[in-house]
Amino acid sequence: MSNATLAPPARRRRRGIDQLVWRLLPLTPFALLLAAWVIYWAIARPNAATLPSVQDVVAAMWELAVKGELAQHVLASLWRLLLGVALGVVTGVIGGFIVGLNRTISTFLSPLIVFFNAISGIVWLPLVIGWLGIGTALAVFLIWNTVFFIVFQNTVLGVQLVPQVYEEGVQALGGGRWETIRTVILPGALPYILTGLRSGLGFGWRALIAAELVGATTGLGQMIFGATEYHRSDIIIGGCLLIGTIAIAMDRWLLLPIEKRTIERWGLVFDARKEE
Amino acid sequence: MSATTAASARTGVPGQSMLAAAGRQLRGLKILLPFAALVALWWAIYASGDFSPQVLVSPLTVWQAFVHLVTYGVMAEYASTSLRMIGFAAMLSMVIGVPIGFAIGVNRYAAHALEGFLRFLQGISGIAWLPLAIIWFGFTHTTTLVIVIYTLIVPIIFNTMIGVRAIPESYMLALRSLGASRLRMVKDVYLPGALPSIVVGLRLGMGYGWRALIAAEMLVRKGGLGDLIFGARTFGQIDRIITGMIVIGCLYVIVDRLIVQPIENLTIARWGVLRK
Repeated sequence: MSNATLAPPARRRRRGIDQLVWRLLPLTPFALLLAAWVIYWAIARPNAATLPSVQDVVAAMWELAVKGELAQHVLASLWRLLLGVALGVVTGVIGGFIVGLNRTISTFLSPLIVFFNAISGIVWLPLVIGWLGIGTALAVFLIWNTVFFIVFQNTVLGVQLVPQVYEEGVQALGGGRWETIRTVILPGALPYILTGLRSGLGFGWRALIAAELVGATTGLGQMIFGATEYHRSDIIIGGCLLIGTIAIAMDRWLLLPIEKRTIERWGLVFDARKEE
Repeated sequence: MSATTAASARTGVPGQSMLAAAGRQLRGLKILLPFAALVALWWAIYASGDFSPQVLVSPLTVWQAFVHLVTYGVMAEYASTSLRMIGFAAMLSMVIGVPIGFAIGVNRYAAHALEGFLRFLQGISGIAWLPLAIIWFGFTHTTTLVIVIYTLIVPIIFNTMIGVRAIPESYMLALRSLGASRLRMVKDVYLPGALPSIVVGLRLGMGYGWRALIAAEMLVRKGGLGDLIFGARTFGQIDRIITGMIVIGCLYVIVDRLIVQPIENLTIARWGVLRK
């Protein structure tokens, strides 16, 4: 892309085509997959329970959408995600600040954090079903548990990486402890917190789907798992595609812009490309 | 601190080794102390209320369940099933994923075309495909394996691709101008250059894969630690659930710390160029 700016004017038209090709390129894998699916289906005619046709999937999703069931599932899932992520971010940031600012607490807690991080999320399901029952509270707990550790660890990292000189600078000018946290450490750690939020949301979405498979009566996860019983592959495939689309959409239009703006505003050294 | 080191220097080697042993003990204590505090808290909560054994059990009961499961060989059976599965999946994913990542990474257009697609696949967690996999392969180990490989392979492909893309072009040009063959290029430029990133991908993939494995085992119910804890749920055996959770956490920490992290450190020390 960058060398295109140096191209001579005579090649401008060609450059335009190149750019169009470059833009459309990311769509080709999707198109190829769709084509392969259609061709395979036309030749092999598999059982609809094994692999439904593209039309079947579209029709099934359309039917669910018209009945309003789809919106109900999507909203249930998104609501749980919102609650879980909000809780995870608030507790993760507060916890991250407490631990990041205090070396004694940090050394004491670190073995516990390593261990509980290893069992965060879905591993809690069997135990917590007994405490909270099936439903939103369970899903929210599992999302919170997943998101907390990611946001927490990123916050601790961000807090610890703020150069001491900045803190001392504010302190030398007569800033108190609170003042230092508010004006130095919070902005300094913000890019890291947002990176945590971004990957936390991705993880939270995964945990939600897993939790809903068994731990809920509504939601996208339950929609696809419930469809297994009736061998409705069309609903499962449609649901999976929808799950992926929502994940991408949230990342692209919600988190990437927030992250970009923060980095522009307070940017420390950071490579947004490698968040995964 | 300086006084003790001076003292040990004066007393010579025996004093130093004693000091080192004491240091090791202190470190062990530092790791165990937080867990001791947690168990004490758990016991205090248990003792303070009248909990039904379906809700909470004492640490002692959990210990007894652990001893019981270990002595009858049940734990070994379930744990080895899970470990074999994740090991096999990790190996297969590396064997398949790394060459794919290379093939995509060396071509600018292929990398651009597939990046969005891979992100989309990552958005649909492996566990979301579980209902479809159950329809296709039934409640079998194949289902679990397919889900775990899907979860593991995407980050490996993605990170291999990023690793290859991040190699400075001048290295390749330098080798090519000296007349290196394609094979030499892979051996001397692509592989060492991308290795740290590949290992990061493997580590991430193991993290995702281990969770996906537990979740899949819960639903497939054909052995493994996920089956152990979810099966115990059906009978309300909290002691078994907590035992299983502890084993899951410990195994993950052991695999991560003793196998994956040393490999990562080794590659970074040896070829280290990029790190998150």
